Amino acid sequence: MTNAVAGLGLAPDAAMVTFPIEMFLPGSDITPVQARKGEFYDGLTAWRSAFAADGGSEAPMIRVEGASVEDAFSRANNLMLANRWGDGLPLWPPTRERVSWILAGTAQPRHRSLGTFPPRGGVTTVESCAIALAMAGGRPEYLPVVIAAVEAFLDAESGSAQLQAASGSAFPVVIVNGPIGAAIRLNAGFGCLGPDPQHPAGASIGRALRLLQQNLGGALPGIGTMANYGGLRYTNVVFAEDEANLPAGWAPHGTERHGFAPGTSSISLAFANGATNIRRRGAKKETPEEDALQGMYRMADFMRAPNMPGLAGYEDGTPGILMLPAVVAQTMAGLGWTKASIRQFLWEHSRIPAAELRRAGCRAWIEIDASKVVRESIDLDPWPITASPDNFVVVVAGGGHPTNSYWLQGYSPGVVGRPIELPADFERLLAQAERDLGPR
Amino acid sequence: MVTLEFHDPSGAIEVKQAHAPRVSALAGKRIGFVSNEQWQAYRMLPLLKALLETDFPGIEVLPIDAFPQGNAVIGSEETAALVKASGVDAVIIGNAA
Repeated sequence: MTNAVAGLGLAPDAAMVTFPIEMFLPGSDITPVQARKGEFYDGLTAWRSAFAADGGSEAPMIRVEGASVEDAFSRANNLMLANRWGDGLPLWPPTRERVSWILAGTAQPRHRSLGTFPPRGGVTTVESCAIALAMAGGRPEYLPVVIAAVEAFLDAESGSAQLQAASGSAFPVVIVNGPIGAAIRLNAGFGCLGPDPQHPAGASIGRALRLLQQNLGGALPGIGTMANYGGLRYTNVVFAEDEANLPAGWAPHGTERHGFAPGTSSISLAFANGATNIRRRGAKKETPEEDALQGMYRMADFMRAPNMPGLAGYEDGTPGILMLPAVVAQTMAGLGWTKASIRQFLWEHSRIPAAELRRAGCRAWIEIDASKVVRESIDLDPWPITASPDNFVVVVAGGGHPTNSYWLQGYSPGVVGRPIELPADFERLLAQAERDLGPR
Repeated sequence: MVTLEFHDPSGAIEVKQAHAPRVSALAGKRIGFVSNEQWQAYRMLPLLKALLETDFPGIEVLPIDAFPQGNAVIGSEETAALVKASGVDAVIIGNAA
């Protein structure tokens, strides 16, 4: 709540009366309201904010001393964790030197404002991105992606202001298109959603974004965010579409969804709150057509679940991101499938029978939704999990193996794209990476 | 001795406006509720209304549904305008969890 008021430009405190969660559940004992009525009365009469009504609070530099480099590093990490700036993993202290090194990744002025990070309202600058990327163990060539991702995150269309604090454990997914992916060692193949020392960029970029969400945005578990589980939030999800292996006629995601010209380096940001491997391949003597169709049914049937995440982005967002390995995409393309026909199939075959919606109590959620389009869908039978097939995101990524596809369940009011802006000497940074990390 | 100096990552906060001033007393005042209809607000807010009416002489407490209810609308400028136009001296907003 204090995040929410700070995000509105008020001082980061509020007159409120808090109770254990049990009191907010159906059938609860609400007599504590009477027992603590004086706190409500004080909130209306005697309460005063502890903060000044005007001006800003500028963050200072932090100084630690240690008997050795190791000791100083350890003390810095302990301090950052004690101040709730970390995530439980070791952090690289964002020294002036380190941050200045990271800032070589952009030509933008370091104090250029990108906005305020919701819901707490932390002022977010290019320097803020570099600080977070330094802490996350990142490199300067990753900074353009971080800046573009933050710009998209702070766009109201992303829905981030609500999702940062909501209970649904949504995490940002950043899909990168264009030549920058391979250039900075961002993964599009085997293990693209997990740790990979051969492709370290995604981990640092996603972790930097998470640190911004927490440290500037105030999304601290149980305090600033009610996300029950906070899944996948150490590094979020950051990967590149496997553009080099897109089938002929299959456009890159950034082109399809956001209109970026093919070959443009760009990001697309959505929110997900689930990650599931779907066994896509047949087991016996299926023909190619049967293998493809059965796999499509397996994916659509999985999506046909009345758990309502897609309500968040029913009109203009996405019910989720389907990832297909290139070997599967190319086989399917050879059989006549396109990204559009895949989306259409998923939309038709993931629709939920009205009786199942009713049984699961979903009608109530549809009735109270803020979106008129959602409310008007209530009597559709079967009920589509999203307003349009175009809302499905289909990307080609993953290891070159046909057995599995992957579904990132969406919880995403919007899908926001941004071009990636590179400094003029970007090649120098890539050359530096070659020296530091070896050849790609 | 090794000194390590690094940036505070929590950033600056801009405080642009003060919280609404409190009322000096509740007797004789006009109080409103803004409800998101969630988290048992339909039970707790009427209880609070009754308590205010019992404890403060001359207080006027508007019905819980005097203003638009629900998460979708309580944060809107339209609802804020309605609250301001109503002439209430103070507002209680609930519930969050």
